[in-house]
Amino acid sequence: MSFQPALQAPAATPISQPLARAPHPLRPIMKLLSYIKQWKSAARETIARASIAAQFLSLIHITDAYICSTTLVQGPSMLPTLNYSGDVVLIEHLSHRLGKLEPGDIVVVRSPVDPKKIVAKRIVGMEGDRVTYLTEPSYSESSRTVLVPKGHVWIQGDNVYASADSRYFGAVPYGLIQGRAFLRIGI
Amino acid sequence: MWSIIREAFDKTLLVAKAYGILHITNSYLCTVALAYGPSMIPAINLTGDLILAERISPRIRKVGVGDIVVVRSPVVPSRVVTKRVVGMEGDRVTYLPDPHNSDEVRSIVVPRGHVWIQGDNIYNSKDSRDFGPVPYALVEAKLLWRVWPPKDFGPMQHIAR
Repeated sequence: MSFQPALQAPAATPISQPLARAPHPLRPIMKLLSYIKQWKSAARETIARASIAAQFLSLIHITDAYICSTTLVQGPSMLPTLNYSGDVVLIEHLSHRLGKLEPGDIVVVRSPVDPKKIVAKRIVGMEGDRVTYLTEPSYSESSRTVLVPKGHVWIQGDNVYASADSRYFGAVPYGLIQGRAFLRIGI
Repeated sequence: MWSIIREAFDKTLLVAKAYGILHITNSYLCTVALAYGPSMIPAINLTGDLILAERISPRIRKVGVGDIVVVRSPVVPSRVVTKRVVGMEGDRVTYLPDPHNSDEVRSIVVPRGHVWIQGDNIYNSKDSRDFGPVPYALVEAKLLWRVWPPKDFGPMQHIAR
C-alpha cells in the first residue's frame, strides 16, 4: 500500500495557521520584576544588616570624635614625656569643648602651618598669660616675653631643643585644639 | 508595666538614631547657617539669612578666593563668623586697615597654611584686618545656597578678585 496521507493538510498560510507570537514588548521588564520578587526577602535582610552596620559604625565614630580616641604620637619634641619612636596615647575630646584646659595639659592641635598635620604639645599659657620662653636654647640664653592674645594658647614641646611650636609659629587659636592627651597606653 | 518601659526604651533609641544621622549630616555634609550682621552687606542681609553651607569643600581643599566661608573665630573660639576669602596662602593681599579715617593701604603675603578673610562691607567688619590671617584648619564650611528669605533664594554670588 502506498502511503497515503490521511488528510491532505492545506499548505501553511498566514490565514489558517496561527503566527508565531511576536515577543511581548514588556517581557524583559516582567522578567526583571519576577527576579526582584524572588530576591525581595534577601534584599530586605541585606538592608537590615547594612543599617545595623551603619548604626554601629556611626556609634564608633561619635565615640571616637567626641569622647575618646587613640593616637600614635612620635617625634623628638615631647621628650622625655613621650618617646621618640612612638607612643599610643588616649585623647579625650571633652575638655576643650567645655573650656576646661589649663597650662600643663598635653593637647593635640591641628598645625597652623600645615592643616593636614596634627601635633601634640603642652599648653604653657592660656589667653591673657604672659609667657617667657627661650628663643634659641641650643645657641644662646636669650629669652623673650609675650602676652598670649585673646582666644589663643601658647604651646611648647617639652624638648625645647627640638620642637617646632609656638616659639616658631606663634600663639595658636583655641579652635585648633582637637583634644587632650590623658593616658599613655604602654607595655 | 514592663511593656511601657520597653516601648519607652525603643522610642528613645529611635530618636537617638535619628539624631545621630542628623548630627553626622550636619557635621560632615551640609549644614544650615544663620548669618547676620553688617559685615557682609550686600551679599548677606543685616537682619539674617539662612544659608546652606557644605562641609566637604574645606576638607578636600577646594576653598578658594571669592568663596564665602564659615570660619571659627580666632578671637572668641565659641563663635563662628561668615566672611569672604580674599587671599589663600602665598597670595599678596592689599587692604585698607581703616577705611573710615584714612586712605592708607597695606600689603601682606598670606603665610603658609593660612587664609585672609574680609567682610564685603569693609567699613563695618572685624576680619583679618583686625585679627590677622586665619589658619586654614579653622575654615569649617563654605556657603552654597541661600534658603531664607524667599525673595533671595538662590546661589551665593561668587566674586573673584
